[in-house]
Amino acid sequence: MTSESDAVVREQLAAYRRDPRMVLQILRKLQLAQNHIKATDIDIVAESLNLPRTKIHALIDFYSFLHNTPRGGYDIYFSDSITDHMLGSRESAAVLCEELGVEPGVPEKDGLATVDFTSCTGLCERGPGVLVNGIAIDRVDIERAHEMAALIRAGTPLEDWPLEWFVINDAIRRKGPLLNMTVQRGAAIERAIELGADGVIAELEAAGLRGCGGAGFPTHRKWDICRSAGAGERYVICNADEGEPGTFKDRALLNCEGCNVIEGMTVCGITIGARKGFIYLRHEYEFLRERLDRRLQRRRDSGKLGRNICGHHGIHFDIEIVMGAGSYVCGEESALIESLEGKRGIPRIRPPFPVTHGYRGCPTVVNNVETFAYAAGIAADGPGFFKQDDAKRGWKLLSISGDCRSPGIYEMPVGTTVGEALQACGAEDVQAIQVGGPGGTLLASHETERELSFDDSNTGGSFMIFDHSRDMLDVAQNFTDFFAHESCGFCTPCRVGTKLMANMAEKIAAGHGARLDIEQMQRLNKLMTQASHCGLGQSAAVPILTTYEKFPEAFRQRMDDVEYKPAFDVEAAIERSRQIVAEEAQS
Amino acid sequence: MTGRIHIDGQSIPFAQGQTVMQAAEDAGVAIPHLCYHPDYEANGSCKMCTCKIDGRQVSSCTTPATDGMVVVSNTEELNSERRALAQMLFIEGNHHCPSCEHSGNCVLQDQAYKLGMTALIFPNFTAGRETDASHPDILLNRDRCIYCELCVRASRDTDGKDLFCITGRSNNKGLAINSDTGLLKDSGLSVNDAAANVCPVGCIIKKRQAFTKPIGQRDYDKRQVHSNKISPSTLPELVKEPGEKVSVATCSLAGCFGCHMSFLDIDERIVELVEHIEFDRSPINDIKTCSAEVDIGLVEGGVCNTENIETLREFRRSCKVLIAVGACAMSGGVPALRNSIDVRELLEESYIDNVGVENPQIPTDDELPHILENVSPIHEVVKVDFFLPGCPPPADAFWQILNDIVEGRAPDLPYDLTYYD
Repeated sequence: MTSESDAVVREQLAAYRRDPRMVLQILRKLQLAQNHIKATDIDIVAESLNLPRTKIHALIDFYSFLHNTPRGGYDIYFSDSITDHMLGSRESAAVLCEELGVEPGVPEKDGLATVDFTSCTGLCERGPGVLVNGIAIDRVDIERAHEMAALIRAGTPLEDWPLEWFVINDAIRRKGPLLNMTVQRGAAIERAIELGADGVIAELEAAGLRGCGGAGFPTHRKWDICRSAGAGERYVICNADEGEPGTFKDRALLNCEGCNVIEGMTVCGITIGARKGFIYLRHEYEFLRERLDRRLQRRRDSGKLGRNICGHHGIHFDIEIVMGAGSYVCGEESALIESLEGKRGIPRIRPPFPVTHGYRGCPTVVNNVETFAYAAGIAADGPGFFKQDDAKRGWKLLSISGDCRSPGIYEMPVGTTVGEALQACGAEDVQAIQVGGPGGTLLASHETERELSFDDSNTGGSFMIFDHSRDMLDVAQNFTDFFAHESCGFCTPCRVGTKLMANMAEKIAAGHGARLDIEQMQRLNKLMTQASHCGLGQSAAVPILTTYEKFPEAFRQRMDDVEYKPAFDVEAAIERSRQIVAEEAQS
Repeated sequence: MTGRIHIDGQSIPFAQGQTVMQAAEDAGVAIPHLCYHPDYEANGSCKMCTCKIDGRQVSSCTTPATDGMVVVSNTEELNSERRALAQMLFIEGNHHCPSCEHSGNCVLQDQAYKLGMTALIFPNFTAGRETDASHPDILLNRDRCIYCELCVRASRDTDGKDLFCITGRSNNKGLAINSDTGLLKDSGLSVNDAAANVCPVGCIIKKRQAFTKPIGQRDYDKRQVHSNKISPSTLPELVKEPGEKVSVATCSLAGCFGCHMSFLDIDERIVELVEHIEFDRSPINDIKTCSAEVDIGLVEGGVCNTENIETLREFRRSCKVLIAVGACAMSGGVPALRNSIDVRELLEESYIDNVGVENPQIPTDDELPHILENVSPIHEVVKVDFFLPGCPPPADAFWQILNDIVEGRAPDLPYDLTYYD
């Protein structure tokens, strides 16, 4: 054990007040500082926080970005999301691997670099997205991959890489009330205090704001239930774990309008009587953290956060940023709270719901980034804010990616049709649209009349477009693999079912599929939908089956019309034996 | 709140704070379950206890009972889902009942029996997890872990030791031991701890206590009689002229011929049987190849090499109805225990390092079959119409299934003819 390493872990333990709930934050910092979490550090953390060592290992195993074996000094992840594939992420990764002489996921022998893949990095409109030592770089095409390889081989520190690589701009294509918002900082807070909790809740109700993460629960009801739930502490959590493949609007909101989000959280805190809020920011958005921290500090300095907010005696509210460490399930609110408490992100048994039994068992409002931003607008300007320009059902941010001229963020009225969205972004030769991410709705090009709303094609923001050059089975397989990788493994139907589905998708893609495989997938889908613990397992089998239903030709191309084919490739299964016998025959 | 709930039409009371599962247990109404245990807080992970409660499918072990609640549990729809969950758990780990010390005392096995599971329809994951035999008195066979977390809860809540922990996620979950070495021997687990006694399957078992209870006296040997009707739609029609016999072919792949021996245990009934059937290819008459058209094929044993594959494919081509007979044909069985061992190691062990080998060398003759990386159940190589479980299946089961098929009935294996061990 070196004293230097010791110092790093001691420093992190002190920074997080030796709070066991902060164990994940500590581990994440150790990972970023030392490319892995050393066994000796695990011992120190376990002892200092009075946690069993196995619990630390269990955390490291659960979160994708934590490792207990060394990664390369340059730890590189390419986004494996389908839109990044379409922009050439696999090709760029292959170039980088070849130039560095590494296999994906395996550190180079002298520990220089690791090249790996990860779930969607949220840079879909500017892919291929890459994380290097936790920091996002966009548009890593083949040319940039070559340049990266040269920098890595020369051992150039990350600080000296081209600065423009790290500038993540937001392609804001169409603005509505939120993206045009010019409310003075603190105006929403002042008005919320003036209106009082009843008034704020009434205005949210009048506006008809519903959770923008995708679930669509009425925001006023959530705040009202939380406010009325028992006595004692309550909490505000901003869900910035934007992991749904194809979604990046929260990234943009936090990047350019972070203050609206903070203001909305503060309004919520004041309304429900919370003194503490958290922004649970996904690991992939590390590049946003510093700026957000600065904003929080500025607001503390100007009295809009902290004690006696805006000079109002007895109104206290502050916000802390807590980072995720690589788990899609943590976007589910109860899993997010588990993670926030320093545990594995496994969705809780509900009821009770977080709104009455949330963080540390206290009533907690968990809202999406966008929900807080709209809530700030409504609190400042009244319900009319959300219904500007005659948008009767309000507004919604769409993250549009894939095959179109202008991918980016579009603020559109709720109820916008798919056709209108396609027109807005300049999509041509459309074959299919995936609305709401892998677990959402797959639409064929003729379904342009479908509405983007809670009542029809629901989306938390993801809107991915595929033109006729795309193989829809590839798309479905990508989604199926994503679910198998991200399943938390808690319940039987999801843990085993997602793996079975991924295996069968692979079988079909490899040309070994048969009619009975489809039947088995259909039966599995029913079971997973009915019996899984959370939304992930319930929707994991849907993409491949919807693809089969709507794009049967994608399957027919790779499937003979036979009833049965073996579960494994017999030729491949005897390859090892052949090899050995050949070796023996020669010797 | 107290009151009454209605399970499958039966009204039962519940006490303050009880879940549907607790109320049902108290009233003696059985809802299938694996991860639930009355002594511990509900986990809700196995999903076996999923019921339709007030119209929604939820885990009954985590759903608080409320007055007037309507619970639907014992329906074919729900039981078929539970059967699929049991099948998932069987293929996720290595659950080979005939070679498991816990057979007969295993909750997973018992649930599968009761749910009428006669086949493993999903391809096996061939788990190869680490076994921990370091403890003097307790064995940890992780390949049999079903992640019910009962040991985790028992060690934490009853023993106050917190020795077990679930690690990993998705299909890479694991069961870790909280000790300096990660080994059971250094954990302080004692045979009398609740955690050492709570495992519902053969994952945490006590050494030197296997097979102490004879078959018939084990925990779950008290068999009940109920029917496992197999859907008749899957039965190909065997159109026969009056007096025409049904032809039957049999073979053993990677098996021990024990199923054939059991078949012959129908004893004098074989005389009656041959009035209705005639044997085609079979070790019984030593005919080596199938006729072009055989009615029924009975295949014993798993698939371990290329010769097995060829034989199996011949059976599938020739037989109208193909039946997987016994544990090895259904799950790989005992031969599948080699699945975690590398092919070279296997060959070296057999042909070079084995005791009494003369002129040690790995044979390279082209005529010899190649061995597969894994021993597989036959349904992973050809389509199988029926499954006859057991190690071996009892003679009565052969008698029953052949008679059913000969007479054009959907095969019906009652609970007491369904054996996994």
